[in-house]
Amino acid sequence: MNVAENADRGSFVLLQVGEQRFALPARIVVELAPPMRLHTFPHTSALVAGVIVRRGHIVPVYDVAPTLLGKESPAHRFYLIAQRAFGAVSEASAIPLNGECELATAEIRPPDQGHRAFVSGTLEIGEEIVELLNFEALVTQPSAGSTDALQAEAQS
Amino acid sequence: MRIASQDSGKSRRARRSEPVILFSVAHQTFAISADSVQEIRSTDSLAGAANEIEQPLLAKVRHTIERAHRKYYVINACTHFNLPVTRPTLVLILRQLRVAVLVDKIERMVEINAVHALPRAFIGEERRWYRGLAYVEDHVIPVIEPAGFLTREEFQALDRITRASVSHREMEGAVQA
Repeated sequence: MNVAENADRGSFVLLQVGEQRFALPARIVVELAPPMRLHTFPHTSALVAGVIVRRGHIVPVYDVAPTLLGKESPAHRFYLIAQRAFGAVSEASAIPLNGECELATAEIRPPDQGHRAFVSGTLEIGEEIVELLNFEALVTQPSAGSTDALQAEAQS
Repeated sequence: MRIASQDSGKSRRARRSEPVILFSVAHQTFAISADSVQEIRSTDSLAGAANEIEQPLLAKVRHTIERAHRKYYVINACTHFNLPVTRPTLVLILRQLRVAVLVDKIERMVEINAVHALPRAFIGEERRWYRGLAYVEDHVIPVIEPAGFLTREEFQALDRITRASVSHREMEGAVQA
């Protein structure tokens, strides 16, 4: 492996949303949190479903399933907490997941032609091709659905 | 890189506890500083004192009330927060602003030790609506920013409309006399 190839290899967290797996760079992932109460209140921000309280901090939750899958995902089991950059500062942000995460090392390949704006590449994990997500682009996508399902889950 | 949720949260925390009124609108609980509320009245007790105003600008304002020679704009909190419309039973008359807010019920008063900054993920009107978030008995509750109910421009527009409406009524009265 040459230097250029080495630079393209990295650590990624594989996460399950609905029945699909996606990847995020491991450097932005903070932790996988257990299920906890989603607190909701009126707001007008697209994709934000509410907040959770984790280790004494209020963490916004982004409902990314409609954007990733084109539909609401079934009941959530975990929250993946990642850092989202806002200029020079970053903010812990959560996305609901349906399964556990896995750490993987892989080479980043270019995304498929006609890829979605929040897909920055692909990873070959065994025989599976996993889309690598650009977290910032993902959570600033125009909403492809609503956060109603998550909020209903929070109130149940 | 600094962690925003930690640093900005600390900087905005109150140094001492703050009494707040917890009230609900369409099954959502909100907190408002007790200091910013002058009076709480039932809607029934103000029914005769309310004047309807017709204006197309703000759906959330349909009435005014007079208190101590000041005209207060009555805001329907359901409409303000884009919540399902309910039948409000109480009016919170604010202290520093000419605003009265229709709400469903008062839950209780509590002391909060901190107002946490609204996460940066929130980028919409809520940044004007709320001072931040409070943690009250395992619940995260938005803390109302009283000045967020009406902007200065909205006050000016409503004042113009109500002045014009009064002039129109006076002119009609003069013609009929």
